[in-house]
Amino acid sequence: MAEQPYMVASDSETTGDDKSQSAFHDLAIGIEVGTSKCSIAVWNGARVELLRNTRKQKAMRSFVMFKDDMSSGGASNETAYEEKEILSGSAIFNMKRLIGRADTDPIVHASKSLPFVVQTLGIGVKPFIAALVNNVWKSTTPEEVLAIFLVELKTTAEVQLKRLIRNVVLTIPVSFNRFQQIRVERACAMAGLHVLRLMPEPAAVALLYAQQQQQQSLHESMGSGCEKVALIFNMGAGYCDVATTATAGGVSQIKAMQGFTLGGEDILKNVLYHLLPNFDSLYSIRDTNKIRSMGLLRIAAQDAIHKLSTQSSVQINVDLGDGTKVQRVLHQSEFEEVNRNVFEICEKLIKLCLADSKLAAEDINDVILVGGCSRIPKIRSLVLGLCEKEKEYEGMDALEAAVTGAALEGAVASGITDPSGSLDMLTIQATPLSLGIRVHGGGFVPIIQRNTAIPVRKSMIFTTAQDGQTEALIVVYEGDGKMVEENHLMGYFKVTAIPPVLKGTAEISVCMDIDAANTLRVFAGAMMPGTDRAVSPFFEVRMPTLDDGHGWCAQALVKTHGSALDLTTIPKELQPQKVQ
Amino acid sequence: MISCSRNPGVFAFSMPDKPGKVDHIFHFRSTRITTVYNARSRGAATGIRCCGGKKGREDCVPRNYYELLGVSTDSTPQQIKDAYRSLQKKHHPDIAGQKGHDYTLMLNQAYRTLMREESRSRYDTACGRRSEWSGSKYSGLGYSSWNGPLRSQALFVDEHRCIGCRECVHHASETFEMDEAFGSARVKVQFGDHAKNIEVSVDSCPVNCIHWVDAEELPLLEFLVRPQPKQAYGVFGGGWERPADVFAAAKSLKKQLKEHKEKKRNRDRKGDAEIEPETTAQTKARYHASMKLQFQELLQMFGRLGEFFVAKESKEK
Repeated sequence: MAEQPYMVASDSETTGDDKSQSAFHDLAIGIEVGTSKCSIAVWNGARVELLRNTRKQKAMRSFVMFKDDMSSGGASNETAYEEKEILSGSAIFNMKRLIGRADTDPIVHASKSLPFVVQTLGIGVKPFIAALVNNVWKSTTPEEVLAIFLVELKTTAEVQLKRLIRNVVLTIPVSFNRFQQIRVERACAMAGLHVLRLMPEPAAVALLYAQQQQQQSLHESMGSGCEKVALIFNMGAGYCDVATTATAGGVSQIKAMQGFTLGGEDILKNVLYHLLPNFDSLYSIRDTNKIRSMGLLRIAAQDAIHKLSTQSSVQINVDLGDGTKVQRVLHQSEFEEVNRNVFEICEKLIKLCLADSKLAAEDINDVILVGGCSRIPKIRSLVLGLCEKEKEYEGMDALEAAVTGAALEGAVASGITDPSGSLDMLTIQATPLSLGIRVHGGGFVPIIQRNTAIPVRKSMIFTTAQDGQTEALIVVYEGDGKMVEENHLMGYFKVTAIPPVLKGTAEISVCMDIDAANTLRVFAGAMMPGTDRAVSPFFEVRMPTLDDGHGWCAQALVKTHGSALDLTTIPKELQPQKVQ
Repeated sequence: MISCSRNPGVFAFSMPDKPGKVDHIFHFRSTRITTVYNARSRGAATGIRCCGGKKGREDCVPRNYYELLGVSTDSTPQQIKDAYRSLQKKHHPDIAGQKGHDYTLMLNQAYRTLMREESRSRYDTACGRRSEWSGSKYSGLGYSSWNGPLRSQALFVDEHRCIGCRECVHHASETFEMDEAFGSARVKVQFGDHAKNIEVSVDSCPVNCIHWVDAEELPLLEFLVRPQPKQAYGVFGGGWERPADVFAAAKSLKKQLKEHKEKKRNRDRKGDAEIEPETTAQTKARYHASMKLQFQELLQMFGRLGEFFVAKESKEK
């Protein structure tokens, strides 16, 4: 890490711009790339400031428009695209829902109702996505689209801050697995950005909450203040996250996190299918006219959903141009009925999260609702009802909380301190999913349990499953299923030079280490039985080693090697960590 | 004549809530803990077990979790939480950079262990620690020394009551002495003077603060009557304190001591049961395993023989 940057004296009455030039040359900015909107924020020396693009927008539409030989994103200033144009098939959006997913993923299949082309072959490879340029479908990848978009965000920030931007803190949904994280990092690298931290959105919100609590207790001069437990519910266009956090003295500890790919996009789709039950058959063939009418319907549905946040019914009146007209009134109750499955999942996530953190509704002091979908009345009443609260926590902008938290994290992790104590805080994050290895019989043995505070390092002793076995495969999975098939394969490697002894007597130590930047490393090697000396040098492998999210390599491994290279657990009493 | 005073080292590790001090405390104690670790290298090791790689073995010596967090062993979960948070704020990699990684790892481990009642008591057992309570600095030895044979009665000055009149020192200067710092008298040597002189001194005390007490209770009283350092909270508090009624305090401490002893005995019994994980068969297997390692060549030959037999068998089939 760089040296502590030079601090601007607190008595200088300079503006944020001047400060950023001189002092914060290495300061990481916070970026939130949402499924639908994105924003950039930066610590300006006294507080977090959201950057605006030249159209004075703080929340910029996330999309990339493909034209003849160039592409331009929603953050750029040259042209202000209309929503109609974005939906013309020439623009790619929703990349956050597509990145890092294989074509077997149901989310990718669900994205086929978008105006651009999403092709799936169902063999576990990257989906083929393409934008319409001069009546030709031009292929691209979600990473490429994200990278183009990030370059524009970077340029926007560089112009305004008058310095080069290199470090970023990017927010991600809780449910992003490590493949998706790697893809996001790769997209950032393509855009010339170094990811300082990938921060789950609720963790970023928790950091902002910690800061606000800290400031409040300073004002009330209560010292470190008492502990406050908050439930953070974040639902945007693409993802829904729930987290619980305990905050005191400017330190916020994430107790549990739950996430699911569920958001405004699903609500929109439900409404679309409700308005036009034969949606799929109608738009199976894509020509310019069809895409245009699909776009018109989408805009009308979107508009109706927004209006339903404040009124009880909405009149939809749209001419799709091909003879079909949708004219009807959509009532609040109808809307809620159509989206019942969405609300059920939200409820489940909150309950799971509370159970994981061993909290009851009365333990919660504050309910924080953020994200675009938190404006939907049904969602508000649902979350508040589950937490038995009258009203939500006030003092956070629902759309800016996550990016503000990311900018704060960027400032803290860049080593900036603030004399007034506004940066004197920390979020202790937790792993949202368990990490472990495959054992004999296809079982999954977690080594790091989910909701463990990071950084963390844990080790476990395994033993061989065959007599005289000298090599063993360490197959690393992420997830919470009991069997490996239910979890994500992260990668595998072989431990060699195991002393050839009877099965169940050799000792193979497997150690997992997650650092604060959420990088996973696995160390493994054979040990001399009964001692803690290594037989030969250990292996250190950074995970994931694989590129795709499907578990087909694992099937190939089993097919080729059978159980010859399997490991099994040894009785719990023999584990070195008796003290847990 | 040797007077046995308080153990000077004791205070070095009784300073909780001072993160800055933690480092020194480690050095102070690390040798002892290493021994504990080695003595039961399999059973009592903590979760922080290094797996080779770039980190040296010295880093892997599990430190005492209480000392790591800078809390006393009888601290409440809230105290542990506070200490954990303030240390995290100093050492978390977000703030301290990558060099804070290892330290934070241990902090997390310690916090996880100590926050759960069950794992905490297991940890206490595994580390062979008596949980230290308020009387932790009590060494069992009194301040005064003895002259002549041991007797069932002993002299004790309630220094809290003493007004510093020096009458007793005047009459029996070998037995009593003045503590100039506190301005009170105390017993230097039990029965240092003639019985008659002592009698006069006791009678001459204008506030009747010289007592004849049970010899057994003497060390306890002498310990309690000395001012003890008080725990400080930041710049507040701190300083010294001593009980207003030393006799009542001695009574309660005695009770505590007894309870603690019993608790410890129970725990040790339970602990022994817990640290007996291996069955005879497992021990045997383990023994065979290490034997085999030593005769690896032979073993390989066995392996080849085995293959041969398997091949032969399948051929016969």
